[in-house]
Amino acid sequence: MIDEPGPWGTGPFTLVQGASSITTRNVVMSADPYRASWFIESEQRDPQVVLEANPDHWNRAARGPRIERAVFRNDVTPDEALRLVCDTEGEVDIVTEVSPADAQRVQDSAHARLVVCDANRVLVGILNRNSDAPLDDLGVRRALNMAIDRQAIIEQGLAGYASVIPALTPNWCSGFPAGAVPYELDAARAREAFSRGSWPARRPLRIATPEPFAGIAHMVAASIRSTLDLMVEVIVVPPDQAPGGARALVEKKLDLPWDVLIHAWFDLSSEAPPAAVHREFFGLDGAFRAGPPDDAFDALFDEMKVQLDGGALVAVAERIDAYVHDQALALFICAPQALYAVNEHVTFSPYKTTFELAEVTVDDRHWSVTGGGAELGARTARSQSKPGFAGAAGNAC
Amino acid sequence: MTAPPQAAGTVHVVDPSPLNWLFITWNTMEEPIRIDEAGRVVYSLAESSEWLDDRTLELRLRRGVRFQDGEHFTAHNIKQNFDEMQRWAAPHPPGTWLNFPPQSTAEVVDDHVLRFHFPGPDGLAIGKFRGFHVASSAFWNGKDAPGFGYKKFGSGEGHW
Repeated sequence: MIDEPGPWGTGPFTLVQGASSITTRNVVMSADPYRASWFIESEQRDPQVVLEANPDHWNRAARGPRIERAVFRNDVTPDEALRLVCDTEGEVDIVTEVSPADAQRVQDSAHARLVVCDANRVLVGILNRNSDAPLDDLGVRRALNMAIDRQAIIEQGLAGYASVIPALTPNWCSGFPAGAVPYELDAARAREAFSRGSWPARRPLRIATPEPFAGIAHMVAASIRSTLDLMVEVIVVPPDQAPGGARALVEKKLDLPWDVLIHAWFDLSSEAPPAAVHREFFGLDGAFRAGPPDDAFDALFDEMKVQLDGGALVAVAERIDAYVHDQALALFICAPQALYAVNEHVTFSPYKTTFELAEVTVDDRHWSVTGGGAELGARTARSQSKPGFAGAAGNAC
Repeated sequence: MTAPPQAAGTVHVVDPSPLNWLFITWNTMEEPIRIDEAGRVVYSLAESSEWLDDRTLELRLRRGVRFQDGEHFTAHNIKQNFDEMQRWAAPHPPGTWLNFPPQSTAEVVDDHVLRFHFPGPDGLAIGKFRGFHVASSAFWNGKDAPGFGYKKFGSGEGHW
């Protein structure tokens, strides 16, 4: 990442003021061969990070930039930003990572509209296959997947802003296996499969979650509790304990205090989801693998990563998604959508994997064209406890 | 040919995403490829690629590109950035899976053609280029050049 402003790149904008950087800590999974990820310990964002249009950009005709300047404001909380974009002009034009809990407020607002995008993101329950509970048992894992009502979780926990997906590959991505269908709530089959799994008497299922997904975790817990007649505990991890917990997960040396961890993750493209998603959850060098290496998964991944023909690579990617679904290697929940609040005089087309400004435009009635706009201060603030991707750790990344 | 419209206006953005550091980089720097709205790989600083054999990937680079300080972009920039990246054991925050093997090398064929030599076939190489940000010579050269973490942290580990 870029630590100070300057004309360093060829991109559509030049960083002219401030910087947005992170301090990371190395987290080693294996010394030999060396496998590591990085844990974000802190962010350093200047109160305003200013980008100016690069008028000589090689792709200006096709993409842009169409605006002269973008100011990333880090001096307001997400809640305050939402109020400003909804109720004022000239303060905030785009708020990313709007929680589904705030979607209606944006839709009802005087100055903003809600922009919704199918995003390459997943919300899953990581299953701890090293647990003393029998989560290494395929029947138990399938039972858990058949014990939750995904559509109800989406409707009640995410206000409908998510898609049910069979495993980890959404159907708009390459590598979606033809004919794949999600696990459905099936109490009878779930109980039958679970009963063969030798779950210890009075041993509760422990579901851990970061605070923003606590509501989702409680819905998952209630569904499993009622379907399987199983005690379920929900552990809401306080923010100050999350870094240690994440490090233990990535390093894989210490016992983890949970059976299921509610976790959000993202993909870098729509081309080969196993590279950035499936591998991270189940692969030999996967930061979120909670359990012993899965030789069958690793063999499939090794086959995929040497394919130089795109079609052949995608064919293996489909087999990988089908495998993790068949083996119920996670508690598959959904693919959350990305929500934005956008000023009514700003045109913004969301990307599925990133946040790009080159194509953004403003119309003739926008405050920056008619004159006006806020004097930006130098406050700093952050807060978030509603369901949404801003509450994801961003780790291991 | 119609001239592109003049850039106009200012937008104020609040981005609570934990990936904001990456979005600032992607809006100001470019890579051989980028990801379009649908999440698909499209060429950016490269305009084509071809596997010459199962270990040699040739990129043909876009002509007429300048860095924001006016420097002409050439294959030498790609090689310099690749060589800087390869100095580190784990340059990318997402982890070592984005690494190119240490034996990998970049060869400038001419100003607009570059060949990567890998120790084995790497079907994920094109996708990995999304994390291969290409900076100007001034970003790397000189005592005040920031580099990716060089000036601030004294290291490029985990800071690309």
